[in-house]
Amino acid sequence: MSAAFLIQLLISAVAVAALVGLAAWLGVPRPAPALDEGHTRALLAEEFPDADLSRLWIAPDGAAALARSGEAALIVYRAGDGYILRSAPWTSVEAGVVRGERAILKLDDVAAPRAVFALGEGAAWPPQALFAEAKA
Amino acid sequence: VKLDPVTLATPFFIIAVILEIVLARFGKAKANYDWRDARTSLLMGLGSTVAGVLTGGLAIAATLWVYQFHLFDISLKAWWAWVLIFFLEDFCYYVFHRLSHERRVWWASHVNHHTSQHYNLTTALRQTWTGGLALTWLPWLPLALIGFPPVMIAIEKGISLVYQFWIHTEAIDRLPAPIEAVMNTPSHHRVHHGRNPRYLDRNYAGILIIWDRLFGTFEAENEAEPVRYGVVKNLGDFNILRVSFHEWHGIARDVWRDPRHALGYIFGPPGWSPDGSRQTSGDLKAAWLARQNPSPLAGEGVGAADG
Repeated sequence: MSAAFLIQLLISAVAVAALVGLAAWLGVPRPAPALDEGHTRALLAEEFPDADLSRLWIAPDGAAALARSGEAALIVYRAGDGYILRSAPWTSVEAGVVRGERAILKLDDVAAPRAVFALGEGAAWPPQALFAEAKA
Repeated sequence: VKLDPVTLATPFFIIAVILEIVLARFGKAKANYDWRDARTSLLMGLGSTVAGVLTGGLAIAATLWVYQFHLFDISLKAWWAWVLIFFLEDFCYYVFHRLSHERRVWWASHVNHHTSQHYNLTTALRQTWTGGLALTWLPWLPLALIGFPPVMIAIEKGISLVYQFWIHTEAIDRLPAPIEAVMNTPSHHRVHHGRNPRYLDRNYAGILIIWDRLFGTFEAENEAEPVRYGVVKNLGDFNILRVSFHEWHGIARDVWRDPRHALGYIFGPPGWSPDGSRQTSGDLKAAWLARQNPSPLAGEGVGAADG
């Protein structure tokens, strides 16, 4: 790499930092309000149009949700001002690990390796309603 | 380097991004920015220039090697050659771009460009780090064989890349019909970045949309169905290493787990699996179409029952 290229790269890096700063300061993100049942069901219906949703649980911070469709868990969580949706075997929900007030689900997916759910203080995992449904 | 259109246009890229952000802030243009998403796009752009320097020699060497066997002597000063290469290069881009969506090995290097859930000018800069190594420059080699000087090919490729910058925006609605008919426009390219089944694998154009119209891959933007941007399975975070390498990792994992089907995993369409348990974009489109147009047999069944 020539000196000229390195100087050009340095200037570009400064420009990138400035643009990221400008985007953080003045950028208009998409509205991403806390998930409610209607919004979550709409997202799930868009992503999994053939899914037959039974129970739905929304994390207390409104940043993630979990639903069940047969033996599949349908997962929604927020990343930035967008949402990530995945389907995983229901057993992966039961295998979720609780750390502090968060539950962490490992997903067998390089593109989205884990989903994190906020839990209320002392709340059990899986959420009781979904667990009851799973055993039904 | 002085003739490199991308280098020359870089100040324009920066000014345009600033304008888009500021105009959107004051409600004068449609553009959404999440700073983490913009950071990822811009860092991918920065990284791609480094990757280009590190791996670009491969494409240059191959082009120079092929040029030794050129069929015609074409001068850099021939005006008609610039007109001809404009069309031929754009066709090569169409071939490259279509293959980059239809074959997983090239999709792995191109997918990063589609990983943003936003569609703004920084998305244009979310460029590949691995395209050079994946040999995605192959479709342009016939131009050297015909006899177009390698520098001419490089300049035309640069012009195409610069053209494609400004179409990555929601700030520009539709352009006049004659332009929409011939040129790749923001509207056409929004469709290309859509993850709605209707829009998957459509509008591969670089500068001219005519190739999509000719080869049946054109889809118009439909106001009734707003484009949802990103990939079929959006990424779980903004990690640039994940953006760059997740599909390569996926290929390696699939081949490791099931080496008998390595060729299918590498050269099949994205989403291919030997047992059909995954969905290609063709599968997603077919399922979507089936939902839009329920089977005529079902209708006949109802009719028969009524009769």
